[in-house]
Amino acid sequence: MAGIHVKGASRSFGSVRAVDQVDLEIGEGEFFTLLGPSGCGKTTLLRMIAGFCELDAGEIRFGDKRIDKLSAHRRDVGMVFQNYAVFPNLTVAGNVAYGLRARRVPAAEIGSQVEAALGMVQLGGYGERMPHQLSGGQLQRVAIARALVIRPQVLLFDEPLSNLDARLRVSMRAEIRQLQQSLGITAVYVTHDQEEAMSVSDRIGLMNQGRLEQVGVPSEIYRKPATRFAAEFMGTTNLLEARQLGLAAPVTVSLRPEALRLADEAPADWPRLAGTIAALEMLGPLTRLDVALANGTVLRLAMLDQPQRPLQAGAPVTVAYDPARLVIVP
Amino acid sequence: MIAILGFLFLGLFLLWPLANVFGASLLDSEGAQFTFGNYTRMLGRPYYRTAIANTLGIGAAATILTTVISVPFAFALARLPVAGKQAVQAMAALPLVLPSFVSAYAIVLLLGNAGIVTRWLHDHGIAIGSIYGATGIILVYALTLYPYVLLPTVAAFKAVDVSMEEAALGLGSSPGRAVRTVILPIVLPAILAGGLLVFIETLENFGVPFVLAEDMPIFSVEAFKLFIGETAANPAQAGVLGVLLILTTALVLLVQRRFLSRRRFATNARAAPPLLRVGWGLRIAATLYCWTIVLLALVPFFAIVVLSFMEFRGPVLHEHFSLGNFAGFYDKAMRPLANTLIFASLASLCVTLVGVPIGYVVTRWRSGTATVLDVVATLPFAVAGTVLAIGFVMSFNAGWLVLTGGPLILVLAYTVRKVPFAVRSAGAIVHQIDVSLEEASVSLGRSPLQTFLRIVAPLMVGGILSGIVLTWVTVASELSATVVLYSGDWRTLTVVMFQSLEGGGAGLATAASTVLIVVTLLPIALLYRLVRRYELG
Repeated sequence: MAGIHVKGASRSFGSVRAVDQVDLEIGEGEFFTLLGPSGCGKTTLLRMIAGFCELDAGEIRFGDKRIDKLSAHRRDVGMVFQNYAVFPNLTVAGNVAYGLRARRVPAAEIGSQVEAALGMVQLGGYGERMPHQLSGGQLQRVAIARALVIRPQVLLFDEPLSNLDARLRVSMRAEIRQLQQSLGITAVYVTHDQEEAMSVSDRIGLMNQGRLEQVGVPSEIYRKPATRFAAEFMGTTNLLEARQLGLAAPVTVSLRPEALRLADEAPADWPRLAGTIAALEMLGPLTRLDVALANGTVLRLAMLDQPQRPLQAGAPVTVAYDPARLVIVP
Repeated sequence: MIAILGFLFLGLFLLWPLANVFGASLLDSEGAQFTFGNYTRMLGRPYYRTAIANTLGIGAAATILTTVISVPFAFALARLPVAGKQAVQAMAALPLVLPSFVSAYAIVLLLGNAGIVTRWLHDHGIAIGSIYGATGIILVYALTLYPYVLLPTVAAFKAVDVSMEEAALGLGSSPGRAVRTVILPIVLPAILAGGLLVFIETLENFGVPFVLAEDMPIFSVEAFKLFIGETAANPAQAGVLGVLLILTTALVLLVQRRFLSRRRFATNARAAPPLLRVGWGLRIAATLYCWTIVLLALVPFFAIVVLSFMEFRGPVLHEHFSLGNFAGFYDKAMRPLANTLIFASLASLCVTLVGVPIGYVVTRWRSGTATVLDVVATLPFAVAGTVLAIGFVMSFNAGWLVLTGGPLILVLAYTVRKVPFAVRSAGAIVHQIDVSLEEASVSLGRSPLQTFLRIVAPLMVGGILSGIVLTWVTVASELSATVVLYSGDWRTLTVVMFQSLEGGGAGLATAASTVLIVVTLLPIALLYRLVRRYELG
């Protein structure tokens, strides 16, 4: 187990700078997520750590050991792929044993280690099955067991849940998090799903156009976005010029929809704004409102479902916002 | 590393011989001075200009005829209810592996001047036109090469997403218009690609025109005659024809690439489009049409098997059964049979060893080197067997590496000729294997080489095996390079046939044909059974 230290890592494909001067420190045993839109360089950075993508410049170390010149099969990483990459010609047990055999673990130990690893991902007793007999979720469990069983220094996840259906995604991400915590392995996780990132990570590195836009714990990135991009990418937000809210300062501010409330439910010291309901969206637990102010600004507002309160598009409404949650973005 | 070995092999046994052919075509009669004289002299002679015109004309006609036959056939197989479709489909692939010059020879025995059918018709007062020359050649090409268009076109018809035609119908097109304006354009690239394969095959085919052309000059035959030359061998002029042949094929391939690269609208059908509901009339017509073509193409092979059990005295057939031909075969042709089996086995082994790694490299690596290797490895496809063989003789007749007169030169020539197919098919298989499988293996601690052996190779085995069988079968019936390169004891079955055709030993030729048909069909049948069992198991 080791921390990961990335210094000045860069890589271009043609004229595109996929990863551009990235510096990153990931602590020992930390669950770190690289989050960003497609094409932001997160996968490239992950593949640099795994050894599938060479660096044009910079260096990567696991603990004290520099590994960026080491070929991939000598790096001692466990990787879980988006499309599972379970070997179709081997049994489930054969897949899990694959890395152990490569490490010349004595045959006597392989069996018990494989069974233990399969037990960890709740696939005990599945060892003799062939991959084509398994569902997508089970395949991904095999892939995770296969990556864990070798006790790698670093565990890498490349959008491991994006091929699973929504419900399974939610339960699997909790399992992944729990496994990583119980084993204490340093993990790097790549996803474009901000909710997934927030639920599993110790820290998140938000990437955009090959650069790290912001690094921090999930709540900090959500509540205190350092840039316009960070504010917009992490969930929905109202990105406004301050004067649109009647403030004098010449700055851009971000105001989350849940920081707005209907006026009669808000504390008295929250600033009030009058407008009309331009659109209304009932999502189940949440109701979303678009409120058009007199100056033309449209504010997005989200609140918990309130059956006792009839709201209608076109009706006049007064809203209030929490001034403490107004964030200035550069 | 693989790339270097690949370049070494192809450089020595492909580029070097071809360079010698080019070189010979550019040297004067003393071999000292650089000159274009050979070209002007050859192109100045009406005889060779006619040869060029004949070859291109016959090729174009055969391509058009093949396409016209195959497209409706393909549509019927893909979209219409045809009785016995499975059987039709299996039989339609057979002409690809059966030797085309055997078909040509059968046509001569049946419809030639002294052919059985010709005489029978003559006895009943019906005269048919001569089968020799362009008519016969085009006919044989159409019957033996139609699968090149049929198979990809069937696949293309099946790959058109059904929502395409539903959209067209929904927008108010009649079914006929939907086929014409939506489906045919989508399928067109597949048809054209198949048609160009046919055209290239006709350019380089040696056996069929040799049997059927009589005194009509054809490119590949003339190159052979000039090189082997009964009066005086003339490598320079043979070289000129060879170069012209290569340039023509290369030009055709280039045009194809240009045209096809701009049109890529394969649609990924989630499910094959359903059969059309049609009336009985069309159903019967489609069934008759498909069966007629499939059977017509196989009749010559069937006929020659039957004829091989009849008695021949010289070229004259006597209508009673006899095993005499096979007795003759046993006396004279066992050694060539053994040669054929050994050469085919060695060559398919070499082709696999050379082609599969190259196929892997050109598919997985996206570098400039890989592209160049790809082009070089595809090159043999554009080189007629005769021309490659001429290059081999020029290159390995003297110097540090002398191969002429031995068996190895044949095996090497076969290997080079079949490498493109191995590279293509291996590439296609590799393409199906997800890169992340290899990455998973590497990150679990296996080196790239171990990964190839433990993960990639096992996944490729099925495909490689069928590739080996196909190579084996096509090598066994190779004639155009063999006929230039064989020597003494190292004759093959096809050479036996070739010689008995020249010498009028029809009996031996039919027996050899039958043996060759058996030799090619047997592995195919075995492979088919193996694949079936594998799929069931």
